[in-house]
Amino acid sequence: MRTRYVRYGLLTGVLGLVLYLAFGSGVRSFEAYCPFGGMEALWGLHTSGEFTCALGPLNLSMLLAVVALALVAKKSFCGWACPIGFLGELCGHAGGMVTKKRARPGARLDGVLRMLRYVVLVVSLVFTYKAGELILRGYDPFYLIFSGIGHGTAGIVSYVVLLLLGIGALLVPMFFCRYLCPLGAVLDPFSRVGIVKVFRDEGKCTKCGSCQTACPHDIPVHTLTQVRRRDCTNCLECLDACPEKMVLSVKASL
Amino acid sequence: MNVPKFVVPVLVIATLFGGYFLRTAFTQPTTNVTVGTGAGEKLECVVDGVKCKGTAEFFTALYRDIEGINSIETYAADHRVVFTYDPAIITPEKIRNIMEAPIPLEDGSSVQAFKCMSMK
Repeated sequence: MRTRYVRYGLLTGVLGLVLYLAFGSGVRSFEAYCPFGGMEALWGLHTSGEFTCALGPLNLSMLLAVVALALVAKKSFCGWACPIGFLGELCGHAGGMVTKKRARPGARLDGVLRMLRYVVLVVSLVFTYKAGELILRGYDPFYLIFSGIGHGTAGIVSYVVLLLLGIGALLVPMFFCRYLCPLGAVLDPFSRVGIVKVFRDEGKCTKCGSCQTACPHDIPVHTLTQVRRRDCTNCLECLDACPEKMVLSVKASL
Repeated sequence: MNVPKFVVPVLVIATLFGGYFLRTAFTQPTTNVTVGTGAGEKLECVVDGVKCKGTAEFFTALYRDIEGINSIETYAADHRVVFTYDPAIITPEKIRNIMEAPIPLEDGSSVQAFKCMSMK
């Protein structure tokens, strides 16, 4: 069975769960699913022993679990269980069907833009820690989408932010994850040492590049012997796309 | 060492369940108000409207002085409120009615800020 069917099945389940928590459960508790909320909660817990704003124990336990997962299997959470990554990926496919070609910013621009998520990480934490409130939730696509642009958003600015993120997702694959997601920035160092990753057999590889074309993050798998890249989410699309047998495989190795 | 592809989704699912069950290790109230000794019967409610630290503090400020209520703990993340009350003075149904009563506003109108979704 193609890995994508399993992955999309799991992601659809997660999306359904978060939608249920957001709109179907009576009380809106979808924010508890976000592991980044755990990062934002740390300061409040440290200073006052209380959780900030709408954050709670589940945010913190999810953060710890996802960091542990990153140490074992890189950013698998992003590729297999993040509803925003899933929506971004679907938008990327939709955009690709219209434009027929994926936009690829130049390597230098791409490298600079990728640093933005560290800026977003620092700004998010500093503002949250100083205010004791999630005052940037009006610009967070997870909150905007699943709250229905509800309580605590920034009015017309929130609509504009969501529109720009939508356009970005249509034009550049994984736009938000690639350039803006603060959780991605948190997981970067852990992901680099992840044990379970994709390996390539150089002797058998024809370097056709199908793996890179299929990779949501545009990683040139055909040039690597093992995928240690921080963006790899272990989605295994490259394994599905490879036309040769036994070239790409999943291995556990330090 | 080669590992089968299904190891990745299995690890992800294990992480989601692990994160869910690990949460009990960190449970702490958002606000905690105790009046008197704080002793009495426990009543736990899921309250729509308790959604952040601000609303949790507003909630406890509104109801801390109700006679018979000895303590209020709010857990904003899961919209949970735990009352300790004196059953000789107040009943769970009366607490529910007080919680759901409209709150008068300055312009003369009123608004129902909180709704009890479940009680146990």
